[in-house]
Amino acid sequence: MKTTTVISLFLTTVLSTTAQAKPLSYVGGTMVMQENDETGHTLSLDYTFTPITAFGLYLKQEENGREIFMATPEFNTLLKRWNLPDGQGNIFNMSGAGLAYYRGDVQPCLWTGFLADYESRRWFFSYEPRFVWDGDIEKSVWQRARIGIAPYLANYNDLNTWIMFQVDHHPAKHDHFVATPLIRFFYKGYLFEVGYSSNQHIMVNWQIQF
Amino acid sequence: MQKYLLTIIVVFGLTTAVSADTIKATVNGMVCGFCATGIEKTFRAQPEVRAVNVDLEKKLVTIQTKQGQTLDDAKIRKLLGNAGYSVVAVARQK
Repeated sequence: MKTTTVISLFLTTVLSTTAQAKPLSYVGGTMVMQENDETGHTLSLDYTFTPITAFGLYLKQEENGREIFMATPEFNTLLKRWNLPDGQGNIFNMSGAGLAYYRGDVQPCLWTGFLADYESRRWFFSYEPRFVWDGDIEKSVWQRARIGIAPYLANYNDLNTWIMFQVDHHPAKHDHFVATPLIRFFYKGYLFEVGYSSNQHIMVNWQIQF
Repeated sequence: MQKYLLTIIVVFGLTTAVSADTIKATVNGMVCGFCATGIEKTFRAQPEVRAVNVDLEKKLVTIQTKQGQTLDDAKIRKLLGNAGYSVVAVARQK
C-alpha cells in the first residue's frame, strides 16, 4: 500500500486533471490535469482524437475514508455543445474501467460521470454527478456543483482570474456536504486553482494543455 | 495600348499570386482563453499560416497566411470546428 501511495502521489505531483475542467481539448491536443482536494488526489492525461472524443489514463488515490487507489483508461465524450455568441454550454460523459487496490485486495472497477457546464466571459456554472464501483471494495456516488465569477474581463493574452465556490456532496463519506471557496487563474494553456474546504483541506488543482 | 494593358494584367496577376491573406473569422462560443488556446495551436500547425491572433472581446480569430498561400473557408471552418467552436462569418483582405 505504501508503494502504491508513493507512486500515486509522485504521479499526481508530476503530472495531472481536474474534474471541473473540460475533459476534451482540440483535435491533436494533449491535456495533463491534477486535482488534490479533500477526496484525495486525481491525475489524468488525455489526448483528443476527434472534436468529441478523448482517450487517456485516469489515476485516483482516495483519502477521505478508505485509501483506495484506482487506475483506469479514461474515455471522454462530448455529448452536446452549444456555441453561443456570449457563452458556451457543454454536456460531457467521462468513463473508465480498470483496477482498484485497497489493502492488498485488487478488484475490477468502473466509473462514469457527467459534466454539464456553461461559461461566459463573466460567469461559470457546472454540475457533475459521478458513479464509482470498485468491486467488493466500495460503491459510491458523489456530485459536485460550482459557480464562478470573473472580477474583470480578461482577453486571450491576459491573466484570467476567477473567484469560485464549489459544493461537493458525498453521501457515503463522513462529510456529506463540503464547501470550497477557491480562486482560479489561467493564462493561455496553463490553469491553476487553489482553495480551502469547509472540512479543512487545501485544494490545489492544475492543468496544462499542449 | 495593348502592351500597357498586358503589363497591368501581368503585374496584377503576379501581385495576387504572391500576396498574403489576412482572414478574420467571427466565432461563437469563444469565451474562455484557456480553451481558445486550441485555436492558436491548431492554426499555428498549418503550413500556410504565418500568424494567428485570438480576440475574445471581439469574438474574432485573425489569421495571416504566408506570402502566396491561403486557407479556404471550408478548411477554416473545419479547423475551428475541430477546436470546438462555430464559425459565424469569414472575411478576407489581401
